Amino acid sequence: MNAASRGTTGPGTFTRLLEMLRPDLMRFAWWLARDRSVAEDVVQETLIRAWKSREELKDPAAARPWLFTIARREHARLFERKRLPTVDVEEVEALGDPALATDGDAGLIDLRRAILKLPDEYREPLVLQVLGGLSTAEIAAQLKLTQAAVLTRLFRARNRLRTLYGLEPAEDVE
Amino acid sequence: MSGANPHGHARLHIGADPRALPADVAAHVEGCADCRRFRDEMLMLDGKVHAALELPLSEFRPRARPAPRLALAASVVLALVVAGGFWLFRPATALAGEVVAHVEHEADSWNMHQPLPPAEVADVLRTAAAEFDSPYPVVYGYPCPFRGHRVAHLVVQTPHGTMTVMLIRHEQVRRRTEFSRDGMQGVLLPAGAGSVALLTRDGPVPDAVAEEVVSRVHW
Repeated sequence: MNAASRGTTGPGTFTRLLEMLRPDLMRFAWWLARDRSVAEDVVQETLIRAWKSREELKDPAAARPWLFTIARREHARLFERKRLPTVDVEEVEALGDPALATDGDAGLIDLRRAILKLPDEYREPLVLQVLGGLSTAEIAAQLKLTQAAVLTRLFRARNRLRTLYGLEPAEDVE
Repeated sequence: MSGANPHGHARLHIGADPRALPADVAAHVEGCADCRRFRDEMLMLDGKVHAALELPLSEFRPRARPAPRLALAASVVLALVVAGGFWLFRPATALAGEVVAHVEHEADSWNMHQPLPPAEVADVLRTAAAEFDSPYPVVYGYPCPFRGHRVAHLVVQTPHGTMTVMLIRHEQVRRRTEFSRDGMQGVLLPAGAGSVALLTRDGPVPDAVAEEVVSRVHW
C-alpha cells in the first residue's frame, strides 16, 4: 500500500488500505462467526467503525491487527445484541457453506471442518496468527492472555490437527 | 534451551509457531532428530492450515443490503463493493497464483513513477526482514501481509519496463518457475532461504534482470 509507505491515512489512501485488507478481514470474520451472513455484518460494521476512527490509526502498517481487533469487538457486540445462537458445525456443513463445499480439494475441506471443530479458545489464536500474521505477544494482548497461554493454545490447536494427516499427536504440554 | 524438559519446550514452540522458532529452540532442533522430524511435520501441516484458512471468497455471494446508517459509511461500503473485483478473487494454492492475485489486488502500484526516498524503501525492507540493494529506481513499496507474514512488495522501473518485485522470505521455491496469467508474466526464483517473485506486463522477465535482482537479495 503506497499510502502506508508514505505514512498517511487520508480518505483515499485509507479506503485503499481497507480494500487491501478486506479479503482477510472477511475470512477472519467467517472463522469467528462460522456463518457467512454474520461475517458480512461483522465486516460491514468493522469498516464503518474503522472509517469513523481512522484518525486513531497512526501507523498504517498496524492496520491489520487494528482492524482485526475491531472485528473481534464487533463480533462480540453482534452476539450480545442479537443473542445469536451458538453455531453448530454440523449445521454449517448441512447448509452447504461454500467455505466447506466448493473448493474441490477434499483434503482441504476436511481440514477446514477440523478447524471449525476446534474449541474457540484454540481456533481463534490460530486464525489470528495464520491469517492475521500476529505474533504471540500481539495475540496475547488481543485475547488478554499470557504469552505462555497463547503458546499452549496454538500448540494444542495444531496438535489436534495432526491426526488428519496420519500423524501421532504429540504429548500435551503445560 | 530453558526448562527441565528440552524436548517439551521445543515441541511447545514448534507446535505454536513452526515458522518462527526462538534461537534456543532452533539450535536444539538442529541437534535433535526427533524434534527435527516434529518440526518438519508441523511445517507441512502449517502450509495446509494456511491454505485451509484462506477461504474461497469467490464463492461468497454478497447479499442485498439495507442502506447503511451513515452517508459517510455508505461511501466506504460502496467503494468497497465497486472494488469487489479486487477481493472476490479465486484463491490459488500455488505461490505463483497467490503472487498474481496479490499484485492484481494492488493494481495501482503499477502506476507509480516517482522514485521513493531511500529511507522509505529501507523501512519496507526492514519490516519485511529483507535486504535488497535495488539496481533500479523503486517507485512503490509496502511490507504487505502475505501468507501470514510480511513480504516486501516493490515496483521498480527497469530499462525493460515496470516490474513488480516481491521478496518472500518465508517461502522457499526449489527452482525457477515461470508463469503467466491475466496479461502478466512472471518468474519465481529461489533466493537463499526465501524466494523472489518478479512480474511484468511487458513480456517475459529478462534473465539478466532476474539474475541481477536475485543477486542483490539477502535475508
